[in-house]
Amino acid sequence: MQFAFTAEQDALRELARDLFEKESPPSRVRELFDGGERDAGVWRAIAGVGLAGLAIPESLGGTGGDEVDVAVVMEEAGRAALPEPLLETAAIVAPVLRDAAADDDRAGSWLSQIAAGEAIATALLGDAPFAVDAEIVDLLLLERDGELHLLERGAFTTEAVESEDRARRLFTVTAEVSLATKLPGGRAAADRARLRAAVAAAGMLNGIAVRLVEMTTSYVRDRAQFGRPVGSFQAVKHRLADVHSAVESSRAATWYAAFALASGAADASLSASVAKAQATESEAAANHAALQLHGGIGFTWEHDLHLWLKRGKALEQSYGSAIDHRRVIARALLDGSVDA
Amino acid sequence: MDLTYTPEEEAFRTEVREWLRANVPSRPLPSAGTKEGFEAHREWERSMHRAGFAGLRWPVEYGGRGLGVVMQAIFEEEYFLAGGPERVTSLGQRLMGPTLMVYGTEEQKKRWIPGILSGEEVWSQGFSEPDAGSDLAGLKTRAVREGDDFVINGQKIWTSYGTFADWMFALVRTDPEAPRHAGITFIALDLRSEGVEVSPLVQLDGHSGFAQVFFTDVRVPAAHVIGEVNHGWEVAMTTLGFERDAPSASPAIYLKYVHDLVDATKARGLDGDAAIMDRIAAAYTDARAYQAHALRTLTRQARGDAIGAEASMTKLLWSEMGSRIGELTRAVLGEHAETDHSGDPLSPRERWHSRYWFSRAATIYAGTSEIQRNIVAERVLGLPKG
Repeated sequence: MQFAFTAEQDALRELARDLFEKESPPSRVRELFDGGERDAGVWRAIAGVGLAGLAIPESLGGTGGDEVDVAVVMEEAGRAALPEPLLETAAIVAPVLRDAAADDDRAGSWLSQIAAGEAIATALLGDAPFAVDAEIVDLLLLERDGELHLLERGAFTTEAVESEDRARRLFTVTAEVSLATKLPGGRAAADRARLRAAVAAAGMLNGIAVRLVEMTTSYVRDRAQFGRPVGSFQAVKHRLADVHSAVESSRAATWYAAFALASGAADASLSASVAKAQATESEAAANHAALQLHGGIGFTWEHDLHLWLKRGKALEQSYGSAIDHRRVIARALLDGSVDA
Repeated sequence: MDLTYTPEEEAFRTEVREWLRANVPSRPLPSAGTKEGFEAHREWERSMHRAGFAGLRWPVEYGGRGLGVVMQAIFEEEYFLAGGPERVTSLGQRLMGPTLMVYGTEEQKKRWIPGILSGEEVWSQGFSEPDAGSDLAGLKTRAVREGDDFVINGQKIWTSYGTFADWMFALVRTDPEAPRHAGITFIALDLRSEGVEVSPLVQLDGHSGFAQVFFTDVRVPAAHVIGEVNHGWEVAMTTLGFERDAPSASPAIYLKYVHDLVDATKARGLDGDAAIMDRIAAAYTDARAYQAHALRTLTRQARGDAIGAEASMTKLLWSEMGSRIGELTRAVLGEHAETDHSGDPLSPRERWHSRYWFSRAATIYAGTSEIQRNIVAERVLGLPKG
C-alpha cells in the first residue's frame, strides 16, 4: 500500500514548477491579459524538458508517463496559471492518439511531433461551446455524435470569442467531419477522453487552489488592522483552515482518480467524476476566500490575484461542472454500479 | 502508487473478517451506559484479547502483536463492516497503554499493561473539567502531596465510561503558583478509591455515555504519577499524539452511510428528486475524497512520518462530513425521522437517531472543530496566534 508519489514524480513536479516559474511568471500571464502576443519559446521550453510528451511512448520521443505523471504536472500548471494548451495537448489529445496508434496511421507521426514540441493541439469534447487556443493549434480533437475526430489545421475554421480569462483564449470552431477524420475507438474512446480531461482539469483546479491559499495566507500574515495581523483573527483563520483542508482532500481524490485511470481500475470513471466535482467545489471555496480575505486590493486589475481567480472560474465550468459530474455519480449510486 | 496489499495484510484481513463473522454478537449488546451492558462489552473485550486482537500495534514485549498502522486500518475497516460492538477499552489501549510504554516505570508497566490488554481494567480519561474544556490548561483539580500520597480534590466532566470504568488517567494541578502548563501532573487514579463520586450524565439522545467524576480528599499513591511531577502537560501531549497517530476514522464508515442514504432515498421514493440526489452525490464525493486523504495519511504513517498538527485536518474533515451526512439523512427521512415505524423499509429509527446525534457530538469531542481550525491555521498554515 503506497498512496504516494515516486521520487521520479517528485522530481517531475519540481522540474515543472521551476520551468513554469521561469518561463511563465505572473508578469507574462498578465501580458496576455493585456493583449500581448504569445511567445512560442515557452512551448518550446515545455516540450524541451519532455512535458508535452509526458504521456507519449519513449519510442515516439515522449517520456512514457501515465495519468499520474500528468496529474503531477497539471497541478503545477494550475499553480502557475499557465497560459498554454498543455492540458489539451498533453493530457487529452496525446493519450487519445496513443490509444489510437495501433489502428490509425496518423497517430504515430503526430505523437512524435507533439513530443518534439512541433505540434500543439486542442480539444472540443461533449457539448463544449469553445476550444482553447484553436486558432494557433496544429490539431483539433473533436467529439461529434459520440465519436472522436482528428482534424488538422486548415480542416476547421475558428472565430475568437472574448474570454474573461484573457490568458486562456477561446474560439468557436466550425468543422466538417467525415470517415477520414474519424478516430477508432467509438464511444468508449470519447468517454475515456472526457474522463482524462476531467481529471486533468481537477488537477489544474487543485493547483490554482493551492496557489490561492498560499497567496492569501501570506497576505493575511502581513496585513495589519486593529494593530495586529488580520491572520491572527479567528474568523480569518477558520476560513483558511477549512479551505486548506478541503483542497488537500481534493488533491488526494484527484491523485486517486489519475491512478485509477492509469491502472485501469473498475472505479476509474466514477473516480474521475468525484475528482472534478470535488476539485471544483474546493477551488471555488478557495477562490471566494482568497478575494474576500485580500479585500479591496484583491479587487484591482493591478494585483495578480485575479489571474488565478479567473482561471479558476473558467476551469470550474470546463470539462464537466460539479453539478454535471454529481449527476453522473447520482445515476451510478442509484443503479447500484457503485460498490458499497 | 500501488494500492495492493501484501499477502500478509490480505491474510490478516481474512483472519479478522472470519473471526468477526463467527464472533460478533448477532444481536447488539445492551448499551455500555448500563451496568449490564458495560459488563457485556467488557466480556466482548476479553474475547477479543483471547483471539489476539488487543493491542494490535503494541510491541510484542508488552503483549501486543507489533503490527503496523496499515494492519490497524484494515482491522478498523473490517470491525466497522462487521458491525462490531463499541470498544470500551479504547482509551486504555489507544492512549494509556502507549503512554505508559514511553513514560511508565517498569513497575507501572507491569501493574497496568496486562489489565488494559485483557479488558480486566477499563480506563477512562480525566482531562476535561467544567471550566477547562477547549482551554485544557485551565484545569483546577488540585493534588497536594501528603507523605507517600497525593490528595486530590476537584472534578472531571464528560468522562466517557466514567460510570463503570475501573481507572482514570487524569491531569491534576500540583503547583498552582507555576505558569499554567508547568504545574500539571499526569496521574493514574483508581476509581474505586474512597472519595470518588461518579454521577452519570444522560446524553441528549437518552443514552448514558459519560459522567461527572468528583474527588473529595482522594488519596492516590505518589507512585501512580506517570512521568515527572509538574511535567504532566508533556505526558498529556504525548498521549494526544497517540490519538493523532492512529489511523483516521475509517472511510468505510462514511461510504456505508452514503449507501444507506441511497437505500433510504429509494425507499422514500425520492430517487427521482434531482435536488436530493445532487446532495447525496456531494456526500459521496466528500466520502471518496476523505478516503483518498486517509490513504495518503496512512502511507505517510506507515513510512514513519509524524502527522502532528495535520491530524487536526483529518479530524475536521471526517467530523464535519459526518455532520453534513447527518443533516442529509434527516432531509431524506423527512417527517419520518421523528417516528418509529415498525415495518418501515428504512433501517431502525434507533440507528438513524444515534448516528445523527453522534455526528453532532463528533464536532465537539476530542477537540472541537473550532480548536482544530485554530491548530490547522496556526501550525499547518503558520498564521499568527490571536
